[in-house]
Parts: sequence; C-alpha cells; structure tokens
Amino acid sequence: MSAWSRGLLAGPVVFVTAATVMAGAALWLPAGPAQIDNLVLPIVLFPAIWAALFFYACLDRRLRRAWGLTLLLLLANAALIASRFVGTPAVRP
Amino acid sequence: MIALERDRTRTLLAIHGWAGVLLGLLLYVVIATGVVAVFADEIGDWASPIDPPAAAPFPAGLGLRIAELSRQIDPAYVDELNLYPRAGGRIEAFFHRHISVAGDAQPHAEGAVFELHPRTLEVLSRRDGIDDEVQARDASNALAAFLVDLHVSLHLPTPYGYLVTGVLGLAMMVAAVTGLLVHRHLLKELFTIRRFRDALLARRDRHVVAASWNLPFAFVLAFTGSYFSFAGSIGIPVMAMVAFGGNQTALIEAIVGTPPTENPAPAPMADLDRMLADAARRAGTAASFVSVSHYGRADAQVTVFTPPAAGELISHNLVYDGSSGAFVREKPGLGLVPSAGGALAAVMAPLHFGNFAGLLSKSVWFALGFASCYVTLTGLQLWTTRRAESPPWRAAARVVIGVGYGLPLALAATPIGYFAGRVAGVDRLEAPMLLALAAAAALTALLGTGRVPAERNASTLLRLTGAVLLSLPLLRWASGGPGWITASAHGLTTLMSMDAVLIVGAWLCWRAGRPRAAPTALATTGDAAAPLESAP
Repeated sequence: MSAWSRGLLAGPVVFVTAATVMAGAALWLPAGPAQIDNLVLPIVLFPAIWAALFFYACLDRRLRRAWGLTLLLLLANAALIASRFVGTPAVRP
Repeated sequence: MIALERDRTRTLLAIHGWAGVLLGLLLYVVIATGVVAVFADEIGDWASPIDPPAAAPFPAGLGLRIAELSRQIDPAYVDELNLYPRAGGRIEAFFHRHISVAGDAQPHAEGAVFELHPRTLEVLSRRDGIDDEVQARDASNALAAFLVDLHVSLHLPTPYGYLVTGVLGLAMMVAAVTGLLVHRHLLKELFTIRRFRDALLARRDRHVVAASWNLPFAFVLAFTGSYFSFAGSIGIPVMAMVAFGGNQTALIEAIVGTPPTENPAPAPMADLDRMLADAARRAGTAASFVSVSHYGRADAQVTVFTPPAAGELISHNLVYDGSSGAFVREKPGLGLVPSAGGALAAVMAPLHFGNFAGLLSKSVWFALGFASCYVTLTGLQLWTTRRAESPPWRAAARVVIGVGYGLPLALAATPIGYFAGRVAGVDRLEAPMLLALAAAAALTALLGTGRVPAERNASTLLRLTGAVLLSLPLLRWASGGPGWITASAHGLTTLMSMDAVLIVGAWLCWRAGRPRAAPTALATTGDAAAPLESAP
C-alpha cells in the first residue's frame, strides 16, 4: 500500500506540484533588471523543481511528511494563482 | 566514494532500473534520433545540395530582391518577415502575419514563403498558407525536418509529443542522477573493465564505464531536452495564463523585449545589405537569421541574429531601425537588458545542440550522444538478460534487441522514402519517409517473431543497416543529385563528407554484424551473481 502511495506521490502528484510551483513563481519571484526573471527562470528551472520534488518524495522515510510538504507547496502556489484571478483581472505582475 | 545508507542505495538502484526499463526504449529512440539530428543542417545540405554551393548565407542584393517580392504578394502578409538559410544554402523568405487558429491557443503565422537560390536569388519555389502547412510542403529540407521532428516529438500531435519527450528527458535525468549516487567507487569504476569469461559481466563493466564517463553529458542533455519539451507545451501556456490571461503572444513579446511604439505610416525599408554587413562586422561572424517586424512601415525593426563567434558560447542579437537602417542596440536573447533568466535561457540551446563551435563541438556531441545510446541499450539488455529465466523478461529482451538494432535500420531507410518521394514528385514528403521507416520496422518485427536467437537477429539487422547505408550515396545520385566528380569540382564538401561517413558507417555496421557468441544467462552461478549486484 505504501509503495502505491509513494508511487502516486512521486509520479502524478509531484509533476502537478512542480507545474503549479512553476506557475506560482511568476507571482512571487522577483522580476529582475529585465523584468523577465519571474517569467523565464521558473520555465528554465522546471526540470530542476521536478527533480528536487521527485527525489524528496522517493527518499523521505516518513511518507506522511513527504505527502504533507508536497501538498503544502501545491496548495500554497495554487492559492496564490487563484487569488490572482479572483482578486484582480489577469495582467502582467 | 559516495556514502549512502544501504536501503537508500537500494531505493535509488530500483529507481535507476525501473526508470530505464519503463521508458528506456522510447528514451533510446529519442537519444538515437537526437544523435542524428546534431547534423540536421549537414543532412539537409547532403540531401538537397545547390550546385554551386552558397558563398555566403545572405548575399549582396538580397534587400532589393526582398523588396521586389514584397510587391508580389497579398499586402496583408507584408507585416513580419523572417529570412533564414535552409538546405543547401537556399534562402527562405517568409512574409507573414500573426493569426489565431480556432481551438489552438498557440499563435500561428500565415503568409508566403519564397525559396531563393543563394547565388542568383532566383525564386526556386513559393508556398502560401499557415506555418504548419508551408513547412509540410518544404521539399528541400524535408529529410532533416523529419528526423528532427522524430527526435523532438516522435511525430506525435502537438503538444502530446513534447509532453512525451519531456517526460523521457526527466527519466533520463533520474537515471543519470541515480546512476551517479549508486556508484560506491565512482573514480575506480571510471577506469575498470575487468576480464570475465562471461560476456555478460564484461558487458556490465562496459556499461558502467561508459555511463560513468557520460554522466555529466547525459545530465546536461536530459535537463536541456526536458526544458525545451516542457517550455512550449506547459511553460509558456501556463505562464501566459497566470500573467497575461492566456495571451501567449503578449507573453512572448514581454519576454523577448517590448517592440517599438506603433507607427503604421508607410515608409521604404533601408538597405538590408548594409545592416547585414554592419551586423557581421560587430558580431565577428555572418548572420544566421533575420527577423523584420512591420516591414515597409515607419516603425519597422530589423533584428539580425548571428551564431556565436569563435571562442564564444552565446549568439548575438543586433537590432536596427528598419526605415533608417541605424543600429539601435545589441540585446540579449531575452529581455532588453542582461538578466539571470535571459542568461540561463541563452545557454540552453548551445548546450543541447552542441553547435557553439561548429563541426568540432557537433562531432563531440555526436560521439557523446552515441555513448548515451550505448549506455541506454546495454542497461536495458543487462536488466532483461539478468531476468531471462522468466518468459516475459525473455520476450522483453527480444524486444530490446529488436528496437535497439532495428532503429538504426529504420533511420537509415528514411532517406530512401525521401529520394523516392522526390523522384515521384510527391508534394508532402513526410508520407513516403514514414512508409520507409514503417517498412524497416515491420521487417525488424518479422525477424523478431521467428525462432532465430535474438543475438543472430541483431547481427542480421546490423548487416542490413550497413547495406542500406551503402546504398544511400547511390540513391542520392540516381535521384538527380550531383556525382562525386561534379561535387569535387564545385566544392560540395559537405556532400562528399556525408557520402564518406555513410560508406564508413556501412563498413562499421557490417563488421559489427559478424556473428558472435551470445552472453550467457545471468546470475546462474554464485560467481556471476556477486558482481551483478550493483548492475541495473
């Protein structure tokens, strides 16, 4: 059962979390001197975000903690993105 | 030595093995086609040479010729213009406007493409339509484009192909990282090939040595490859949704750099040839791509892209005022001023394509890519052979041999479809190339279903690949291409080099296809089992 749970976490859940972190980073990452870092860096670093989450999900001995931290990241970034759409019209940050 | 607890090492080893086993064959296809795609430009020049060859990517007189062509097309298309060299040095001029296609969030271009002779600037062909359409009817570059598409998207529909290759890139990254971590004695294993009587154990050592040396390159390729696959399929759409309400064009404009203030008043274009000469002087090398926005308007802007000059890694982007011809600025690839994001994005292409130092870096990338193919295939063979006592894994071992040795045959057969299609006057050459690829795959499958041992099938496939490679220079010549005497007299060096590479490749395949003794089954004795403990 725990193997399935870990597989679910390290597979689809981590992938969706990495994509959500990438999207959310557009809102919390500094734009930098060219005003593009918040848009470009998350896209370029997406494989690294995914890899970090994947190895963490595979290697953390406490599976519940791995689920908790991954879901926290997912929900925090999803909430940030949702607040963008609910609060103001979607415009460039 | 990397110290890891035993259970973590075991977990990483399992991840390493299963990442390879579940996605290894597709990964092998993507890596092998990527190895070929390193020389996509040279393949295009070989398949569709221009005789005599181009003296410069953009010859003098191009600006005037472009102005003439702009008067021959629908004025609606005279908005954006891209100029780029194609197979054989032909110049393509794509006049277009940006449009939206119903049901597709990605922006598209609609217009007319002129294919120009690189010396006389005579129009060789004209294709009108939407970007995908005009690309599909590009005969001269079709072979190279087919092989590149197979690498980047496996010819699956957009965006699914990119998603699949992106996931494969992630799997390769996982295999590289876990491969590094599970090494107990990395430095020692870089130089260790033990002498075993058992061919399988020797193969295991060769796999580890090749993989160890190839680790940094495999990681770089996997990272940059998955970046390219996911940037278009997930990154840009998601970022556009979050930051620009789904408007991808607005996102791209923001990332590339804000265009100048709109001024639609008609204005003649300044001398393009002078801008190209100025850009070559500033960058230290000739232009490789030109983009003109708002052609024929007062706010026209010309951006000249040059490849990296000798000793550089990053290309140059030089911006000119289109109506006055004045140099405006040299800008980074992304953004108007240097930035961390722009710098990181700029190194992705040279690191993935290996094109930063011409043929030398391409040859190194080709060799390292070839080593990655070897590592992937031997890893799969070790995994399946080790479990060969079980019938499903025995069947899997046959499939690995079939794909491993059938793919080179299928890739070698693709130009047959290309040349046959050109001789038959086929408008879209993708179909005959797919047919040739499928025929080779069917032949491989047919061989694999017989009772012949898999190792003997591998020999047969290698020899067939050699025979097909040997036939390609002949087919190229028979389908109307120049012979060696003409090529030598007119300085078609790429063509002669490619023919020579094919002949040498044919000889190597023939030699490698000599029947050999098959490796023994695995873990059959205590002595054999021990060294295989850390094998994938």
